[in-house]
Amino acid sequence: MTSLYIHIPFCKKKCNYCDFVSYAGKEALIDDYVDALIREFEPLLTTFNFQLSTIYFGGGTPTLLEPKHFDKIISTIICHLSFDIGHSEISIESNPGTADKTKLKALRELGINRLSIGAQSFNDKQLQIIGRIHNSKDILRFYDDARSAGFDNINLDLIFALPNQTFEEWKSDLQTAINLGPEHLSTYNLQIEEGTPLYLQLTTDNLQLTNEEEELKMYEYTIETLTTAGYKHYEISNFAKPGFECKHNLNYWKNGNYIGVGAGAHSHINGKRWSNPNCIEEYVKSHGSRVAGHRPETPDPRPETIFLGLRLLEGLSVEKFEGFEKEVEELIKDGLLMIENNHYKLTRQGLFLGNLVFEKFV
Amino acid sequence: MLSRIRNFSIIAHIDHGKSTLADRLLEYTHTVEKREMREQILDTMDLERERGITIKAQAIRMQYQDHILNLIDTPGHVDFSYEVSRSLAACEGALLLVDATQGIEAQTLANANLAKQNNLFIIPIINKIDLPAAEPERIKEELKNIFGFQPEDVLLASAKEGIGIPEILDAIIKKVPHPKGDIEKPLQALIFDSHYDSFRGVIAYIRVFNGSIKSGMKIRMMGVGEEFEVQEVGTLKLGLIPKTELSAGEVGYLIAGIREVKQCRVGDTVTDAKNPAPKPLPGYKPIKPMVFCGFYPLAGEDFENLKDAVSKLQLNDAALYYEPENSAALGFGLRCGFLGLLHLEIVQERLEREFDLNIIATAPNVVYKSNLANKKSRLIDNPSMMPPATEIESIEEPYLKLTLFTPAEYVGSVMDLAIEKRGSFIDMEYLDPKRVMLTFEIPLAEIISEFHDLLKSVTRGYASMDYEIIGYRVSDLVKMDILLNQEPVDALSTIVPRDQAHYRGKKLAEKLKEVIPRHQFQIPIQASVGAKVVARENISAIRKDVLQKCYGGDITRKRKLLEKQKAGKKRMKRIGRVDVPQEAFLAVLRLGK
Repeated sequence: MTSLYIHIPFCKKKCNYCDFVSYAGKEALIDDYVDALIREFEPLLTTFNFQLSTIYFGGGTPTLLEPKHFDKIISTIICHLSFDIGHSEISIESNPGTADKTKLKALRELGINRLSIGAQSFNDKQLQIIGRIHNSKDILRFYDDARSAGFDNINLDLIFALPNQTFEEWKSDLQTAINLGPEHLSTYNLQIEEGTPLYLQLTTDNLQLTNEEEELKMYEYTIETLTTAGYKHYEISNFAKPGFECKHNLNYWKNGNYIGVGAGAHSHINGKRWSNPNCIEEYVKSHGSRVAGHRPETPDPRPETIFLGLRLLEGLSVEKFEGFEKEVEELIKDGLLMIENNHYKLTRQGLFLGNLVFEKFV
Repeated sequence: MLSRIRNFSIIAHIDHGKSTLADRLLEYTHTVEKREMREQILDTMDLERERGITIKAQAIRMQYQDHILNLIDTPGHVDFSYEVSRSLAACEGALLLVDATQGIEAQTLANANLAKQNNLFIIPIINKIDLPAAEPERIKEELKNIFGFQPEDVLLASAKEGIGIPEILDAIIKKVPHPKGDIEKPLQALIFDSHYDSFRGVIAYIRVFNGSIKSGMKIRMMGVGEEFEVQEVGTLKLGLIPKTELSAGEVGYLIAGIREVKQCRVGDTVTDAKNPAPKPLPGYKPIKPMVFCGFYPLAGEDFENLKDAVSKLQLNDAALYYEPENSAALGFGLRCGFLGLLHLEIVQERLEREFDLNIIATAPNVVYKSNLANKKSRLIDNPSMMPPATEIESIEEPYLKLTLFTPAEYVGSVMDLAIEKRGSFIDMEYLDPKRVMLTFEIPLAEIISEFHDLLKSVTRGYASMDYEIIGYRVSDLVKMDILLNQEPVDALSTIVPRDQAHYRGKKLAEKLKEVIPRHQFQIPIQASVGAKVVARENISAIRKDVLQKCYGGDITRKRKLLEKQKAGKKRMKRIGRVDVPQEAFLAVLRLGK
């Protein structure tokens, strides 16, 4: 199984917590960027003759691009590969307010069948603190538009432990999400990265961070509530209605092959990993598949297979842990790991302390 | 011949310019040409240059106006006061260097006293007179008040700018007495330093007082009692200059197939084995380590490497003592003895740097004397070995006479600090209206923790200190144990004054809470005296990690974060289920005021 990740590093405005490869105010480069994307992946597709199973447009804000751009990209792919567009997962990330019903409909008609909406919160005060460009009404409208445009596989991204957020407020966010009834939910706790505006805001504004106990309570509540509402908790932070697990992300967690194209994108093919430079201008100027700066590494795949695989609630089959018997034994003794159906998997406590578990295998 | 030799040292407080003056003298006498010159030529170890202090003494011979001038360098730290006194014993004169902007400091006084005890002629010199803040007149006044030097006898110099160098050299020739000795008498030569060379064995630095020494001669070390055959003698320039003979009054080196520096102790007397001197030169003392600590490898399998490394360092460091010990908490390690804290830090740093070892050092402690109920007494160099209180009648600990120099405005704070650290006030003397000398008697145990740092902080860095051991005294002391996660950790046991056990236990528990990382379980920390818990803290459990997303498949970043997290733990020692960092073992030294 091989996946294709296409990075779209454009945003109307950068959010205050964001430290990913994305830039505001560079939309003028979009046409050239799309051409560069095609220049990068077209030769890759023909050389390797992949059987592509998923495509993922990530960002940034991919929905800032026009349908014609997606048309160009998708038709190039179809032209080279026997890609079963009707039965393959094609995801796109989006931000509320960046596409109207017409655009969404056009995207759906081009074959994009899974929409991931960066909602983050339904609380306007908190949306403002973290610097989102939309309010909660925009999310609801966008969600309705997406449904009426024909998207029947929708994910909502939510963040908990936002500054000044109370437990009650998170409960209410979660309830709003459940009421909308998306097929998939991703819930992450806010992480404050050094150098982001939010990091600076913390020292100047009167922002209250959620303490660890409270975060734990929010996370536990999330698991209980979503499970009760019919979502399957299949990865540390991800929940899906049966059959709607994200196939593209599952491939990451199973340490599968993927090509990442675009500025700052990462690839993993047959044990080799490499990444593209982050700078859009540099990327746009590059030619062909070999973007300057590719320096593939070949890390030991076993630790990565383990720390990625353990993120999945089903765990990882016992034989993948060969050579780590001592670590496994210790983790089982510490109550962080357990065995079930010939798989090692995180215990409930292990879910909360994933990094403590993962570090044993690197 | 004797009348044309001058043997002298330079003595000074740290940073008053000793090494720079030595450099200028070597340059001016053409002993070392400018092109061979590098900063602080006598400080040969990297550590010496970095720390700006001299650890090992050395000697160098200069020619000036038909005279031979032997400069014998001295170590610049109180840990090495015995070595300083032996270097001074090899001389007839000393240059007492005082910084024109600072004045007399604690080590100025301590070194000048050592020079007086050795009957040296002292030439006072005020250095750094080129600095705008120089106050030579005030310093002259201090020199007069404290030592009785007449202002007209005080030389002015700037070693950095080369000012006053010829005057200093002239004064050495005119004022320092030439050595006296009898070449016909049996050999008596003082060892004032030695070092181990992997090709030639031990090279001893000697001053011949009587008789003469040449190659082929059978010699005996009068103190340690070992005999050797001399292979080579010579004088010292930047390298070794072989000569056929060294005779009374001369300074030079000796090579005699000596394998370890402990066979050739500083202060020992070399004599002719066939025609021995009736008695040795005065002043020899066997080594007595004052400060002990445990060294433990982070990885248990490194124990043999640690032992090898320490034994290699010992080849060149007779003052370093060690023996294997076993800690219930830390496994196999070495109990090591040192002259003082600086000596300890240097050894630890060399083990890590030169031997690439990762070690945990336990908090340094002094040697206690426990007087048992059965009238026997035992020396205790490891707090965890202190016998149970019921078997002990009393505990004695080493005391110091501590001399502090401070600007007058800080007298109150210095007084408070010394008394808090169990000092008893002895004397106060005004050097001038602005500067005060305070004397206390205080336990050595207090000085080897953070006393110096606290002194610097309460006086904004203006105070200086020096001390000498005055002997053992009975104190009301108890052993305080630490339990981590219900398990006693022997390596964290300390001896504390009974009336401060609660206070220090509380501070220590708080400090441990600060430096030990959180684990997935709660870790209780208890400080106890006997069966009584005197302080208690809890390190709360980590309840939840960050739930990170692997954005766009950036697995490498995630892996690196995990690797970094793991590497941090590798620097820790696992005790039971708890990962304990080095800082925890030193926490007892950093309790604050």
